[in-house]
Amino acid sequence: MTMEERSTRIYRQKQMLSKQELTERENLCIHEQPAYCVAACPLKLDAKALVEAVAADDFSKALSLYEKITPFVHILSAGCEAPCEGKCRLAETGGAISIRSLEQAAAAYGESPKGRGLLRFKKKKTAAILGSGLFPAFLAGELAKKAYPLTVFCAEPDAEAFLAAGAEFLDGDAVRKDAGTLKAMDIEFRFRTGMTAGLLDQVRAAYDIVCVSPEFLAEALPGAAVEEATMLCRELNVISAPAGAAGVLDSAFGAKKAALTVDRLAQNLDPMNSRGDEGPCETALITNMAGAPSTARVPGAERGYTRQEAVREAGRCIRCSCTECIKGCVYLQHYHKYPKLLTREIYNNVGIIMGDHMMNRPINSCALCGQCAVICPNGYDMADICLMARQNMVTTDKMPLAPHEFALLDQMFSNSDAFLCRPQPGFQTCRYVFFPGCQAAAIAPETVRAAYLDLTSRLPGGVALMLGCCGAISEWAGRYQMQEETAAFIGGRLEALGNPTIIAGCPTCGKTLARLEGTKVEGIWDVLDEIGLPAGGTGLSRPAALHDACGARGDRRTQEKVRKIAEKLGCRLVETDYSGDESPCCGYGGLVMYANREVASKMAQMCVNRTDAPYITYCMACRDRFAREGKASRHILELVYGTDAGAPPDISEKRYNRLSLKSGLLNEIWGEETAEMTCEFPMEFTPKALAEMDDRMILKSDVIAVMASLRETGEAIFDSESGFLVTRKRIGNVTFWVRYEEKDGGYIIRGAYSHRMKVEARQA
Amino acid sequence: MADKNYYSIDPLGKLQCMKCHVALVKGKAKFMYLDNGFPVELPVCPSCGFVYVPEALALGKVLSVEKALEDK
Repeated sequence: MTMEERSTRIYRQKQMLSKQELTERENLCIHEQPAYCVAACPLKLDAKALVEAVAADDFSKALSLYEKITPFVHILSAGCEAPCEGKCRLAETGGAISIRSLEQAAAAYGESPKGRGLLRFKKKKTAAILGSGLFPAFLAGELAKKAYPLTVFCAEPDAEAFLAAGAEFLDGDAVRKDAGTLKAMDIEFRFRTGMTAGLLDQVRAAYDIVCVSPEFLAEALPGAAVEEATMLCRELNVISAPAGAAGVLDSAFGAKKAALTVDRLAQNLDPMNSRGDEGPCETALITNMAGAPSTARVPGAERGYTRQEAVREAGRCIRCSCTECIKGCVYLQHYHKYPKLLTREIYNNVGIIMGDHMMNRPINSCALCGQCAVICPNGYDMADICLMARQNMVTTDKMPLAPHEFALLDQMFSNSDAFLCRPQPGFQTCRYVFFPGCQAAAIAPETVRAAYLDLTSRLPGGVALMLGCCGAISEWAGRYQMQEETAAFIGGRLEALGNPTIIAGCPTCGKTLARLEGTKVEGIWDVLDEIGLPAGGTGLSRPAALHDACGARGDRRTQEKVRKIAEKLGCRLVETDYSGDESPCCGYGGLVMYANREVASKMAQMCVNRTDAPYITYCMACRDRFAREGKASRHILELVYGTDAGAPPDISEKRYNRLSLKSGLLNEIWGEETAEMTCEFPMEFTPKALAEMDDRMILKSDVIAVMASLRETGEAIFDSESGFLVTRKRIGNVTFWVRYEEKDGGYIIRGAYSHRMKVEARQA
Repeated sequence: MADKNYYSIDPLGKLQCMKCHVALVKGKAKFMYLDNGFPVELPVCPSCGFVYVPEALALGKVLSVEKALEDK
């Protein structure tokens, strides 16, 4: 069994998705959508970040965020109608965050950066503002920020009075502070100006752009209309605001729109066009409020929070975002990425022709379990993306063989040396075929034997047996050609058996085989539910949790049947989070345990930590993964047939179990003798060597092959430092090295290691 | 032209070829992977040409270069 290594000198490329398909997929992920409070603000304040800064006791950062939307932080924070608070999701559980009070706290306790900032060149076009009030004040702030040479004509005697004219609700101290900000701006004031209608013509003659207060406009041209979108009064060709008392927020928003119109006019462009996204927006964010704290507002907002009160109030914020998929998925947590970002990075990775493919490992670390697609409100399916990427990499010869070769060879082993397909004795063709799955035969061969004997004794029409791999491994590896070959191989065997109904002992096998043309698949749980449980089954004495297999995601029938069987056996089942369709993967799915052992181990641990109760599984791989993490876990068929597969086998035992199950059944049921699996020379493995081999994915059969080669070639070296002999053999794409001692014509194996690089001597 | 070596190990007489019964010496060898080659100096049997890759090298440098090449 060999597979060909790829070459890094092949430069092929195939697009994984079209740009449009990519965008459609990405748009399903709402992680980047603005929080509700942010979307509600017409001034585009990043309220979430401001609250976060206050919660971190960083009032200066909060203030700098606030100053991005207005220079007059005291006026705005005191008078803002705060639509953000109306949208705060905490209103549903306790009380909305008092965002406006936190803005006031930021204004009160934060410090603006000292210094003059960057030197900015003044714009060439000049602007003038006539009149006073909230709108002119905010507009003066906006235009000064945009560096227009600006002159303000007003009746008031000084800057404080100019600001106060619009902010009667504010106490003198706050006005003084904002007036200080205003004075520091590069604005020319013409105080005590007689605001007569004739002033407009004089100013218009001297300035490029003229803005007027709504009151001045009403006097200059009673009934004049102002466009809401541009704040432009086309009749007089001035910028203003609609008449009538506008609130603080409306005035500030109006000033932002007006300032944009000034920009457009200054460039001789149509003020209606290219205005971007103005005002409040809708957010597609979905924040799951289950488990959100129900806390009430910290009192004291009316009189103004103290520093500590503000920090406590901000600490209540739940930082609205959609992280539903990440919460349940170890893979996304491990890479600290949400699906949209991960998809884009994978897409880019696949597009690289030459150079480092940094996302190869993440692509191969997804369990392909499909949990995200069930949990995501929009059904974002990362498994689909990762599988597509793997297939793409196989097509373009960019898929390294190293992460999956062991598993692929294991599939080939299951479907060659360990493969068995026989009709029930006495039948040419059968009504059923039992397909327990490769992992069941590898981990619990006794259980497979008991199940087959039971099925043949109680089902009419003959039950054939097929021991092999359904092809899920090659599918997960993205090796679609091998998958097709496997499908054809199994299809041919099924045909020879008379196309019987498949009784699958594994949900993933069931799902994979159901995709073959013309197959009918039932789970063994369906059959047992129908014909009843055999005698001899026992439930667990203490309450147990049921871990749903990812192969049964979306298959409510299987999930319920297994629960029913467990209850019939007397098991008391406890519920866990993330059960049923939301069940996480044990780490076997998608070949993660081969490609990224760290992530696979975290996956198993996450499952294990969901409950203190022992697990009942209906996928043998889950049973094995949990047992390896030290968790008591049993497969439902072990309970049904009163068998116990015991401690999890190592990788060599998994192969041995399959071979011995095959030869045992051939002998017991079909009366066929098979050659005994013996080694021609004595071999002993130290426990340390066995553990090392299991960890390094080195099979006993590999070591035996190395030693057999040694007997032919005599090629070995003696290391006088360690006192051991070392030999090697290249098997397929791997060179295996074995450390050993000689004993009685045989060997004591002390350790083994391997590498994939070829090595040879070269001429000097 | 100077001969380039990516890695060099001198066996210092501590390794013995069991086939040829001679000590391994520092010799020229080449690692190859995915159509890339790296000249190195490793313990080599001067008689039969057996090249020894110590465990620390196989699981250290060799593994990291393998991984880097696999992502090319």
